[in-house]
Amino acid sequence: MKAGKPQTPNPKSQSEQLRETARILLKEKKADLVIGYERGSSKRRARPVVIRDEKDVGRLIFDDTCGPSLVPFLRKTLRAAKDRNSKSQTPNPKAVTPLRVAVVAKGCDGRALVQQIAEGQLKRDQVVIVGVGCDGIADQRRGASGEKRAASCERCRYPNPPVYDVFVGEPVEVGTGDEFAGVAEFEKLASAERWAWFERELAKCIRCYACRNACPMCYCEECFVDQTKPLWLGKSAERPDTTLFHLVRALHSAGRCVDCGACERACPLGVRLALLNKRLEREVRERFGYTAGLSMEATPALATYSEEDKQEFML
Amino acid sequence: MSSSLRIAKPDLDELVSALTSRYRLFGPVDVDSATMLREVKSADELALGAALDGPVKAAFFPQTETLLTYDGTRSEAPPGRDKPTAVIGVRPCDARSLLLLDKVFGTGKYRDPLWQRRHDDSLVIGLGCSAPLETCFCNSMGSGPFNAEGSDIMLTDVGDAFVAESCTDKGERFLKTAYKSQVQRPSQADLDKAGQARSKALAVLAPAADYSGVKTALAKLWESALWDEIALGCLSCGACAYLCPTCHCFDVQDETVPGTQQGRRVRIWDTCQASLFTKEASGHNPRPGSKERMRQRVMHKFSYFADNFGETACVGCGRCIRLCPADFDVRLVLERVMAEDRRPKTGDRATKNEERGTKKDVRHAG
Amino acid sequence: MPDNPYVPIPVRVQSVRVESDDRTLRTFDLAFGDDAEPFEYLPGQFCQLSILGKGEAAFGIASSPTEGESLRFTVNRVGTVTTALHYLKEGEELGLRGPLGNHYPVEKFKGQNVVLVGGGFAFTTLRSLATFLLANRSDYGDITVIYGARRPGLLLYRNELAEWEKRGDVKVHLTIDEPASGWDKAVGFVPTVTGKVRPSPKDAWAVVCGPPVMIKYTMPVLLDLGFAQDRVYTSLERRMKCGVGKCGRCNIGPKYVCTDGPVFSYAELASLPEGF
Repeated sequence: MKAGKPQTPNPKSQSEQLRETARILLKEKKADLVIGYERGSSKRRARPVVIRDEKDVGRLIFDDTCGPSLVPFLRKTLRAAKDRNSKSQTPNPKAVTPLRVAVVAKGCDGRALVQQIAEGQLKRDQVVIVGVGCDGIADQRRGASGEKRAASCERCRYPNPPVYDVFVGEPVEVGTGDEFAGVAEFEKLASAERWAWFERELAKCIRCYACRNACPMCYCEECFVDQTKPLWLGKSAERPDTTLFHLVRALHSAGRCVDCGACERACPLGVRLALLNKRLEREVRERFGYTAGLSMEATPALATYSEEDKQEFML
Repeated sequence: MSSSLRIAKPDLDELVSALTSRYRLFGPVDVDSATMLREVKSADELALGAALDGPVKAAFFPQTETLLTYDGTRSEAPPGRDKPTAVIGVRPCDARSLLLLDKVFGTGKYRDPLWQRRHDDSLVIGLGCSAPLETCFCNSMGSGPFNAEGSDIMLTDVGDAFVAESCTDKGERFLKTAYKSQVQRPSQADLDKAGQARSKALAVLAPAADYSGVKTALAKLWESALWDEIALGCLSCGACAYLCPTCHCFDVQDETVPGTQQGRRVRIWDTCQASLFTKEASGHNPRPGSKERMRQRVMHKFSYFADNFGETACVGCGRCIRLCPADFDVRLVLERVMAEDRRPKTGDRATKNEERGTKKDVRHAG
Repeated sequence: MPDNPYVPIPVRVQSVRVESDDRTLRTFDLAFGDDAEPFEYLPGQFCQLSILGKGEAAFGIASSPTEGESLRFTVNRVGTVTTALHYLKEGEELGLRGPLGNHYPVEKFKGQNVVLVGGGFAFTTLRSLATFLLANRSDYGDITVIYGARRPGLLLYRNELAEWEKRGDVKVHLTIDEPASGWDKAVGFVPTVTGKVRPSPKDAWAVVCGPPVMIKYTMPVLLDLGFAQDRVYTSLERRMKCGVGKCGRCNIGPKYVCTDGPVFSYAELASLPEGF
């Protein structure tokens, strides 16, 4: 299937195993519903699906088209259930068993779930993590050959979720090499060239927030772009505003981004914004020795401080 | 009297020059992996073959547009454009959308002078779709890959050339005045190829779906739990609205240069999917969740617009499907809506839906 | 309305006063600027008040066209624009776009009785309507005003209400939510008080203006009293931007509150999907 990958999971059998796993989870009432992927608007697209009934598990698939992160959809589902519970006629809503949702998690999505738990956004017992080893999502932008993987996937070092309740299929062998090589390459460019590259990417941005909404870590109820007191930036799609939006979002994602690449894949115009996040990921790792999404207990890097923190930027 | 010309592809620049001398010209331009609408000055900038990843409405209703500039308490509307606007390489779906948007901006109690300034005297050079995509459903929305509605001139790609046909008087006048000499008529071979392109396109396109039952179905599904289910598959970003040829919602913001009293009041594309779209200063939001907002989107396009203007606000371009990060498919929504309507109903929900029409439920005003 | 409906005309603060005891409400009388043409309007219409650099907000016109050329607005301070408005002093300039929206069907009311039911600071356009009706008194039958607020200090236009109470040709029923010292009038929510007043539906029209919850509970009272659905009117609010039916924000079903409304009859609303 993919040249040069020794342990390639056979997508068909992985999908079949996934369906069986989902069926058992529902049958044994270990989960009230399963969020996964189904075939989408074409053979090369997948979309999220919520399976509530064993008879529907046949819709589940897993392959290199399963690009969107399911975490935002998980949050929506949990939120919708919570809203329904609070409106329900039950005399004691707290006695209603909270919804247990099973979610299919690639390595990156699994890390995102761990990070959300670490950030207090999710309780471990709310979610049944159905881990799948991921071989990478196909780069489907025009001009890319169908075989090539998305940029984040090419440099991925966490193809298997670190925490899971059940693992479907074979774990994928972890890639080797420097995951920050692309960042280092980029840094070799002169400052003006880097800015020119960045401007060219931003020229495509239409401020649709697909990147933000697709991101498993962007869960703020009120995003900084919507705040008016103070007004941090304008709402237009003109360069100063789009520049600020992407820079600030990257900073807000620093130490939290799991480089799933959902943002870049979500962008309808193919803006290559994941590089920005990757650069900051390296920064956090170097400064604070912290990698997002690996420990449910560790305090997120930018949520704490240590006296050993470097302060060379302060004179 | 309709003219038909042959424009060899290497000679496209002549057409473009004729356009740019009279108009501010926009067309599809490749920008890395995307094709976006941009102002163009020469033919080699154009990427006519690719599917546009944004709406042509941007040429007439830009994403960011200054309503007025101000200095202290004085304000001024921006000066008018000196050249009218033209767009080349417009697919029939986008061309038709301009007619629909004109109903919003160009009719009614108030006319939008910014739209009119760009849209009046504009020229639309359409391009027939020889290779519709899987996500195209223009034929289900009253259009088609070679539909001429909204185009002044229609180009058909016949391999080494375009056959250009005028569709309106304006288009005819342009072709007559722009090419004083060297006018080539299309050969029979050209016309045959054009015909083949049309047939092929129709064959590639999925058969037209019958969505005629959607509006009546929607009227009965206001309270339906269907909307909760549908909304789960949407990320509530703004991609679909900003890519959509017929979406016209906008926000108005004042932007002041810091430290001064000077600035501008701009209008910016907005989307009904944004959580703040209808949020009032009191904090009350009539559309508090993605369910209500999704319902609004579908009903605006497939019901309310038809109530107000007699047509559905969808041209079947499919961009909202092709480029949606969640692969949300509006066609499936329409099918679900019609299926839900056909489903035999039992229980309270059905009774409530029916009573709604007879205004019996006086206490449930909201 | 000028050719460009987005450009405000200049107006000037002629006078301003604090309207409520908690200072959240201020009433402005605005005079048309030197370069501006005074316009005609009818009760029920609204304007977008514009503060360049801050934005715009929609306000029902509280003055009646029978009162002269200046326009009256009462502004509740809740956000950026309204705060900026509250800081305006006499003589200062701002912008205005109007008159926007439709109006109360005063033509239909001619020769008939009119019942005005208001709550809180939504009484603005009802002041316009009441003043208009009283200025053309002989054109109308009985005029009844039922108006309530949380407490006395939140009632708008208290001096005028007192004057109306003294007149013999209009029935005024004021109410507050809970007893307060010094208040010897009715106590109770507006829908309840409306039920007690029992205005007759015979040859009568009703106009209800208030917060969504008040409208929601007052409508059934009027309908139970026998008012026909097409004889009860209300004025709705939605977040607005353009105010002229283009930006798509303020719709309730296929109707835009800024152009098809803000005045709607209950009959029209009953056929619209979205509520208040």
